[in-house]
Amino acid sequence: MLKKLSLAALSVAAMSLGTGALASDCTIKLGAVLPVSGPMGQVGERIANTGQFAVDQFNEAGGVKGCKVEYVLRDTQGQSTVGVDAAKSLVDLEGVQALIGAVSSGVSLPILTSVAVPSKITQVSCCSSSESFTALAEEGKTDGFWFRTYATNRSQSAMGAYLTTKSGFKNTAVIYVNTDFGVGLAKRFEQDIAKLGGSISTMVAYNESQQSYRAEVTKALQGNPDSLFLVAFPVDGATITREWLALGGTDNLIVNNSLRSDDYFQAVGSKYLQNLQGYDSAQPRLPSVASFNEMFEARFDGPPNGPGLHSVYDAVSVVLLAMEASGDITGTNIRDNIRAVTSPDGVEVVVGPEGFKKAKELLAAGKTIRYVGATGALSFDKNGDVQAPKMTWKLDGDKNVETGYMSTAEVAELIEKLDN
Amino acid sequence: MFLQHLADGILSGAIVSLGAIGLSFTMKMLRFANFSHSELLTWGAYAALVFLSFFSTFGGFFDQTIGPFSFGLPLLFAMACACITTSLIAMFLHLYVFDRLSRSAGHMTMVFASFGVALVLRHLVTLIWGSDPIYYSNELQFAILLPGGVRVMPDQVFLFGLTIFTVIFLHLFMTRTRTGIAMRGVAESPSLAQVSGVNVNAIILWVWIIGASGAAMGGVLYGMTIQLRPELGFSLILPLFAAAILGGAGSLYGAVLGGLIVGLSENLSVMIIPTTYKPAVPFLLILLILFIRPDGIFGERKR
Repeated sequence: MLKKLSLAALSVAAMSLGTGALASDCTIKLGAVLPVSGPMGQVGERIANTGQFAVDQFNEAGGVKGCKVEYVLRDTQGQSTVGVDAAKSLVDLEGVQALIGAVSSGVSLPILTSVAVPSKITQVSCCSSSESFTALAEEGKTDGFWFRTYATNRSQSAMGAYLTTKSGFKNTAVIYVNTDFGVGLAKRFEQDIAKLGGSISTMVAYNESQQSYRAEVTKALQGNPDSLFLVAFPVDGATITREWLALGGTDNLIVNNSLRSDDYFQAVGSKYLQNLQGYDSAQPRLPSVASFNEMFEARFDGPPNGPGLHSVYDAVSVVLLAMEASGDITGTNIRDNIRAVTSPDGVEVVVGPEGFKKAKELLAAGKTIRYVGATGALSFDKNGDVQAPKMTWKLDGDKNVETGYMSTAEVAELIEKLDN
Repeated sequence: MFLQHLADGILSGAIVSLGAIGLSFTMKMLRFANFSHSELLTWGAYAALVFLSFFSTFGGFFDQTIGPFSFGLPLLFAMACACITTSLIAMFLHLYVFDRLSRSAGHMTMVFASFGVALVLRHLVTLIWGSDPIYYSNELQFAILLPGGVRVMPDQVFLFGLTIFTVIFLHLFMTRTRTGIAMRGVAESPSLAQVSGVNVNAIILWVWIIGASGAAMGGVLYGMTIQLRPELGFSLILPLFAAAILGGAGSLYGAVLGGLIVGLSENLSVMIIPTTYKPAVPFLLILLILFIRPDGIFGERKR
């Protein structure tokens, strides 16, 4: 049945090819499930267009195995039910062997478990950061079909623990927002800080948008902590910080990246935050990133500002390179070859048609390659996760200054150390 | 830590008490649950902000803060002006919304109308002042250490003192003045009071003035010790109702005690249950009191 359908799809594609003026007489489909409408429509559309951009550049370099790549985009509307239907139709009707997407973790997850894994299709997300995927992969439930080119939340707790222990704090209180994000991060932090030689005095969760957090702060002050790790968003974070400082809490604060915000600094008062430290994601400082930015600007008349643009380009690129490296183009082969094209000891290839051309030649010659993309050199761990570079910052007067930069490799090394 | 939670509970309960007095009075005398009452706290707090910047422009003598407190005379004047402004808003609402509706519409209509008024009031605040938190003073006030390891901020001591003063003042007003006694009469039975020669309409306006002024003071004190944001009143609505119901509608001391119980139970609860369940405590209190003593601690049994 499936074979017949894909044959039918192929013949339809072949018919449409007859009318178009195309270089090659075969096509290979790449499925994309992205939220081009709905609450994330604006973000999703830019991501989808950037995916198309990567496909176009690959076609410019000659396509996959001499065949033109067709980018088949389906809308998820940001909803998991719509997303699963879209992915199903791409796999069953269009016969795609790889899926790009989705954006929200809540959409990517059901697609992975109910479409990609059962149908043995490789799924690469540009944007889903939830740790649930890592857990799923650890349990062996993804069969290795899950990859993402966007760093997980994993690194956040690692950076928090790193900053805390690096500053010599021994007894840290944790106040965290009572959401999936906050709870996950705080629990990880608890494990991480123990590995790095710190310890936790108390862990206190708080609910968002409360009138006051005196009770929470009072509880967190128990055990005389010498530092506070605060996982919060600016408005509540400012309330908590003010009450914390007013009640005699230490000003040795370590905060998560959402608090790197002027609203927060002003609400608390910068002069009280001179011992505050934080971390955030950073763009890698590599020529490949700069050349992607240039090409993007030339194509879209604007810089690639916005979430997921760099990472979707890389998601598409690695899938297409893996297809090129595969014998038969099947989901399983793509899955296995994604590591072959991002191999740390491979020959480096960069973004753009020239880079892809070179990659294809190297692959044809039987060499392994290392794709250095728009997000830098990708290296997927056993769970399909990647790391991104991080930076640390503090306040100097009113100014937010960078205090350190950790490359992807350094972040990966830190997490490796924490996980073992 | 018990003492600290106790102190925190009393101090946060004091604000709830001030707000609950007005809510309790309107519930008893106007006979409907006014969900927009909590927004009067917000308006009081923001009105004071406007007057504060007005008085602060005088500079000199007005620039100085009083003793250990974070504020000076301007905020006290601003608080008085905020009471007047909020009373005017309350009277306006009474004349153009609640009084008109009460003549023809049923009880539930009044409740829903108050919901609507609450929405309008809250969003007007967002429209005028924006949704970001604002502080009367951007200076951070540090807590002083009391015996027993209890930390309180000087402003909170002021807050507590002012609440006690207000309650004593209201007590004297209700028991010693003609208006106060007439007010209690109207609470008992408006028609009987009217035959006895009490101007019920005037008394009702007094109820609004007292309620709104209490709310404004609560709002300003909240803004002073915590922060101003448009959801200030909205986030207090449950504690306020819990306090009013707990104390029994119409009872001054019931509302004060109710407020303190709500504040204490919220703060003490975190010693036993995780902090994330704290907001549920007022709900549980309302349920409990409705089961055990539906008319509240100081409420009279219905005949």
